[in-house]
Amino acid sequence: MSVNDGPLIVQSDKTLLLEVDHDKADECRKAIAPFAELERAPEHVHTYRVTPLALWNARAAGHDAEQVVDALISHSRYPVPHALLVDVAETMARYGRLRLEKDPVHGLILTSSDRAVLEEVLRSKKIQPMLGERLGADSVVVHPSDRGNVKQALLKLGWPAEDLAGYVDGEHHPIDLAQDGWNLRPYQQEAADAFWHGGSGVVVLPCGAGKTIVGAAAMAHARATTLILVTNTVSAHQWKQELIKRTSLTEDEIGEYSGSKKEIRPVTIATYQVMTTRRKGVYSHLELFDARDWGLIVYDEVHLLPAPIFRMTADLQARRRIGLTATLVREDGREGDVFSLIGPKRYDAPWKEMENQGWIAPADCVEVRVTLTDEERLAYAMAESEERYRFCATTPSKTRVTEALVHRHLGDQVLVIGQYIDQLDELGEHLNAPVIKGETRIKERERLYQAFRDKEIQVLVVSKVANFSIDLPEAAVAIQVSGTFGSRQEEAQRLGRVLRPKADGGGARFYTVVSRDTVDQEFAAHRQRFLAEQGYAYQIIDADDVLGGV
Amino acid sequence: MASMEFTEWIRARSDEQLRALVSARPELITPVPAHLEGLAARAGSPSAIGRALDRLDRFTLAVVETLAVQDGPAPRETLADLVARALAAGEPEPALGAALDRLRDLALVYGPDDALDLAPGVRKALDDPAGLGPPVAEVFRHHPPEQLDEMADDIAPGTTGTGKERLAAALAEPAKLLEEVSGEARAALDQLAWGPATGRVPNARREVRVGSARSPIEQLLARGLLAATGEESVTLPREVGLHLRGGRVHRDLLAAPPALEGTAREQELADRTAAGQAFAFVRVVEELCERWSFEPPGVLRTGGLGVRDMKRVTTELDVPEWAAALAVEVAHAAGLVAQGGGVDGEWLPTTGYDLWRVRSTADRWVTLALTWLHMDRVPGLVGERDERDRPLNALHPDLRRTAAPVVRTAALGVLASAPGLAPSRASVLDRMAWEQPRRRGPLREQLVEFALREAEQVGVTGLGVLSGHGRALMMGAGIGPGPAEGAGTATGSRAGKASGAKGTKGAAAKAAAAGDPAAVLAPLLPEPVDHVLLQADLTAVAPGPLTSELNRWMTLAADVESKGGATVYRFSDASVRRALDAGQGADELLAALEHHSATPMPQALSYLVADVARRHGRIRVGSASAYVRCDDPALLDQIIADRRSASLRLRRLAPTVIASRTSRAALIDSLRAMGYAPVAESLDGDVIVSRLDGRRSEGPAQTRSVPASNGLDAEVAAAAVRALRAGDAAHLTRREPVAAPGGTIPRGPATSTITALQDAIKQGERVWIGYLDSQGNATSRILEPARMEGGYLTAYDETRAAVHRFALHRITGVAGLS
Repeated sequence: MSVNDGPLIVQSDKTLLLEVDHDKADECRKAIAPFAELERAPEHVHTYRVTPLALWNARAAGHDAEQVVDALISHSRYPVPHALLVDVAETMARYGRLRLEKDPVHGLILTSSDRAVLEEVLRSKKIQPMLGERLGADSVVVHPSDRGNVKQALLKLGWPAEDLAGYVDGEHHPIDLAQDGWNLRPYQQEAADAFWHGGSGVVVLPCGAGKTIVGAAAMAHARATTLILVTNTVSAHQWKQELIKRTSLTEDEIGEYSGSKKEIRPVTIATYQVMTTRRKGVYSHLELFDARDWGLIVYDEVHLLPAPIFRMTADLQARRRIGLTATLVREDGREGDVFSLIGPKRYDAPWKEMENQGWIAPADCVEVRVTLTDEERLAYAMAESEERYRFCATTPSKTRVTEALVHRHLGDQVLVIGQYIDQLDELGEHLNAPVIKGETRIKERERLYQAFRDKEIQVLVVSKVANFSIDLPEAAVAIQVSGTFGSRQEEAQRLGRVLRPKADGGGARFYTVVSRDTVDQEFAAHRQRFLAEQGYAYQIIDADDVLGGV
Repeated sequence: MASMEFTEWIRARSDEQLRALVSARPELITPVPAHLEGLAARAGSPSAIGRALDRLDRFTLAVVETLAVQDGPAPRETLADLVARALAAGEPEPALGAALDRLRDLALVYGPDDALDLAPGVRKALDDPAGLGPPVAEVFRHHPPEQLDEMADDIAPGTTGTGKERLAAALAEPAKLLEEVSGEARAALDQLAWGPATGRVPNARREVRVGSARSPIEQLLARGLLAATGEESVTLPREVGLHLRGGRVHRDLLAAPPALEGTAREQELADRTAAGQAFAFVRVVEELCERWSFEPPGVLRTGGLGVRDMKRVTTELDVPEWAAALAVEVAHAAGLVAQGGGVDGEWLPTTGYDLWRVRSTADRWVTLALTWLHMDRVPGLVGERDERDRPLNALHPDLRRTAAPVVRTAALGVLASAPGLAPSRASVLDRMAWEQPRRRGPLREQLVEFALREAEQVGVTGLGVLSGHGRALMMGAGIGPGPAEGAGTATGSRAGKASGAKGTKGAAAKAAAAGDPAAVLAPLLPEPVDHVLLQADLTAVAPGPLTSELNRWMTLAADVESKGGATVYRFSDASVRRALDAGQGADELLAALEHHSATPMPQALSYLVADVARRHGRIRVGSASAYVRCDDPALLDQIIADRRSASLRLRRLAPTVIASRTSRAALIDSLRAMGYAPVAESLDGDVIVSRLDGRRSEGPAQTRSVPASNGLDAEVAAAAVRALRAGDAAHLTRREPVAAPGGTIPRGPATSTITALQDAIKQGERVWIGYLDSQGNATSRILEPARMEGGYLTAYDETRAAVHRFALHRITGVAGLS
């Protein structure tokens, strides 16, 4: 037999195609997962991509090139192009040639096992100012404040440095998990352990898989004062409640640092927004980072981390950092900064697998195609190009179909999610449901969320403020009426709203209402592709079927 | 006279030996000399000797050098003794006999075993044999006689003869002189002892006497232990050098090629890797040609491909720049792309490409790999700078290096000698330095490096090991080790054992032994598949190369997203529309996809096709140059019905509109002539879309390949020897012309004439022919035909006692002589 019967096909553009129905698919997935990012997971063939970052992640996790090459060769159905193997080996060899280390005399130093590499980076104009005195042939002093910047710059040059300079312990503070009536799920334990052994890094878990608990477990490892950075105030409140529930921490020990409150306590939860507020061109809350001797910094939703926070993080390299996210894909392409500033990926588990294990609810995605009326089509054709999406996303036809869908799921907890406030208001009015939008006060939002959780309210209409970090486990149906131009990340977040496991163990349903033959449908195509790539069953139905069914 | 003896020796060689000589040194018979004296003279020319010496390995060359430092003919025992002393410690006793046989075959050494001598000219061609300087008689040639006398007086008082003779006699036994000089002087000599024999010293020509010599160098110069050979250079005379070497000519001589060092690899893995790369290389070349079909790069004024175009190719093919240059050069050398089109010239695929494209992957690879092996161009130089500091472009004439194919073959030969081993670069260079010690230099090392790197990229080697198909390729090309060394069969059997599958391996080994690389490679390549996997994210994955029919469907209806062992296609609005534009119906398309899909048709895809089909063709666009519009359909009916309107080529688009292909002015005129009263309307525009066609170069590819120096065709060699013998016989006997027999020769048709002459050449028989000379007179000759080519017969004409060329068309008939 001259050609292997492996499940893997290695493409010349460094993507790996894994045939999932193959007997050895599972074994192969485990072998390639450390060094290849899952890019698409549709039903038959999964696509992984081998990127330099992925290879360096693997290297950081202790895998070597020999293992990677072996995994490729032994699972590949066809001969693997030699050039690709060479490239893999070369790329992996670049990680760790340079190391940041602690020197008893000189403090932070950059050392190299390869003098030529050190010479190369020393010639870089970007890096020169961050370095100090040359110590012999193989090392050079690094200004401690530039630890992050140096790592960032080195990554850009293609010589990512291994950071072995260690961390400060921070101010000790007892934190324990209070596992009364619940237990850390195995993967949560693994994720927290993987992070702790790696020192700093990112944990990738799907929405609804309990990232907050992984954060809490990490805190229990660190047993030190902790700064938690979250996307918004509501999310901050949820973190607080969750921590009180899951750990030995009491309400007094947890502070909130947001627009309205400025508490600094052993565990402080701050929002990205308040950290990036500027007064007279100066970030006015930077002192929070120095307010205590933090032993751990938790970044929630790392893929949304705003640029200023990156800059601030560059100065915090001596502290342990954990990033939590559902996806490493950033729409701004700053994955490299996450790698160099927060740390390499420490844990990753595919959505589908978690779903199979019952940790997250299976979701059924349905696209409902609405045919516009002739008047609407004419009006759409005449709309200004920048108004077009808004127009087709908010047509009365859509509103009608949305109402029909809500009626169809009478008795279920239904979330209606949209982009445009007047559309949401109108829907709220028609459905006789409360609307949560940007201007809704925090107190009111929380009251409504609570009522929804308690099933006092069955239908809730929300704007994009609810995209992130709101825990609504009982939402069984989500209806998306308009979105941010087909953003993949938004899709992941919204889907996450309904993926929390249901008390009755039932599946979730995710509707997207789309106007046929308009830009709305084009955007929907992006979303559809994303969802299909994530491995969700995706079904298209006609609005008439919905309307007819009522 | 040596040259006389040599000529006689040559003459005494058997025909078989002569054939071996001209086969090994084909330059001796281009053109064929008239007689053996000519052959001997040519064999002694410096350039011919240089080429012959270039082909010798380290050990055989050492034998020549050892002979060269002897004053005259030497008995074999002396030679054996000298060689044995020169061997590195632990080396096995060499096969001196084999080396001498080889040298005799090459006519570099001649004479009986008790008086072996170098052929005339060889001594001269070796200017510093084994790093030894010239002998005393030579090295002091330019010294004034008075100075030589003084020196001789100093070191050999009381002897007689000329200064030079006395000096030579004294230096032949330099032991005593060496004892006289200081330790420092001795150390200086030791530095020159093992070559190079020349050193630099300021003011070398100073006049010194033994009495007045102060510095170590002066002590040596005064005694003639060093000779000034320039203003600033001194040379160690050969006699002194040999003495310092303890009478040995060489040291640390290796009798057999040095062993190769490197990493051992599993041959099967190497084969698979190489096959993967071979597949990738064929694809890269194909993609290059496809891209150039539509966007051909321009030809530079100096010839070649611009730097920017090269960069583009590199990006598009997604390979390193040197690999892109390799693909471009091989495609060109294989005649797949050539200069053509346009005024300024463009690089376009040739019609040869179209033929190549439809062949099987394995065949296509063989074409490319053979081209690479034989081409005299060096893609590795692309991007480097020439001596005038201009960058070297791909496809530029300057990329030619005659040594390139030779080096490639030699490097692969080294790999072939070590199955299952990936030798290190240094080790390959060492081995090649042993095999061809006279051919070295920076260019050569660079070429070896390129050859190894390119062999991997082309897929001849995998993981640094010569692959099975690579071996078959070399054997097919008539180079390489052949099965005689057992390498090919050993590989096959070993791989067979490893996999436990006998059938295919056995066949592959057989194909390898038969030098059929395509047959060896084919089973390693992905087999064509006849299905795709359709997925809900609107992609289709072809888990291998597709059969041609399915491939046509897929390229029509989807865009290629990723290539490699598999192909990933993506369906989009545009791609489906393209399929519909090409005349496929939506149902037909869906049915074809469903038929070829191993998985159920995803709903998203059927919706996509239906969506596009629903909109497709609803709006129709045509071109017309004028139209007629009228609110009254009856009037238009009337115009259409009118016979006079036939020439206007009218077409009813709608009840109230007629389109016409004639111009607006002509239409108006015609309508007026028909009695209507039309008025002109303002302008409208129309768009013509046409698909680009792939373009092809007109001219044939201008490529050149140098055949490997694998010796002459046996028949050519035999013919040459026959001609030489005939010429020589004539030359020696100065035979009187014999009279042609009387009578006329039966006239025969041209074909039978040629057959008869061919037979005569093969059998070495004489024939009687009728010949029309240049004046048109019918003559009759008796010939010993030697060879026939290009419409001419070369033969010894007994009736004229000379070798002549005869135009075949003027030979009127042939008859045998009984």
